[in-house]
Amino acid sequence: MSPTIAPSEVREETTDEAAQDDRPWLVIVWNDPINLMSYVTFVLQKLFGYSHDKATKLMLDVHHKGRAVVASGSREKSELDCFRLHGYGLWATVSKSD
Amino acid sequence: MEFSRDPEGELQVDIPGYEAHLLRELIDEMRVVLAAEDRKDPVTARLFPPAYDDSRDDEAFRELIGADLKSSKVNALAKMSEKLGKRGPVHDVLVQEEADAWLRALTDLRLAIGTRLDVTEETMDVEIDPKHPDAPALSMLHWLGWMQESLLNALTGGR
Repeated sequence: MSPTIAPSEVREETTDEAAQDDRPWLVIVWNDPINLMSYVTFVLQKLFGYSHDKATKLMLDVHHKGRAVVASGSREKSELDCFRLHGYGLWATVSKSD
Repeated sequence: MEFSRDPEGELQVDIPGYEAHLLRELIDEMRVVLAAEDRKDPVTARLFPPAYDDSRDDEAFRELIGADLKSSKVNALAKMSEKLGKRGPVHDVLVQEEADAWLRALTDLRLAIGTRLDVTEETMDVEIDPKHPDAPALSMLHWLGWMQESLLNALTGGR
């Protein structure tokens, strides 16, 4: 019988998360139909210091696969990166890696 | 309209009067949208997108950075507006910080128009039908794109 009141699922999730707390946070950029490809490449170079080739590859991933992980690290750093990307109008989110 | 490097390496901006006028009008409209901060408005939602799936995480993020993000957008518009002046064409020089502000302001204007029109990759690709009611706004979206492309080329030397 499943528990009626005890939040068993929530507990499990918490334990699970604590056990895997070393998973990095990911900054993901999502495809949008408005931003120019050359602009997205430029922003990735500018904000992360990536080479033109690396930034182009990430931009093409965003364009063809719908999304790309553009940076990872601590939660604080990822949120800062996300904020900077939003400042340049890129559609970015933060999430824990799988 | 054109952005170019002059012989001294300075970034030159040249905008004819009618295009400068159009930019000033778009900036005024954008200021209204930013001031309203209506998060149910799709344009505002696109300019301030969620950072997290989880609404509580996102709310916390929004509290942390929302005001800074808004002021950075307002400041970028202000920098562009300052350079455009009140009337007439623009023949001036942009320093690095101003060029950066222009890039971000042009992006926000494009995001606003594109979101208002609910564009897709397909509608962005096809030739504009002049009879369609969205034609003027769609033309503006592409025009702002050319402007941004020109600025990017001048900044990066085409690379």
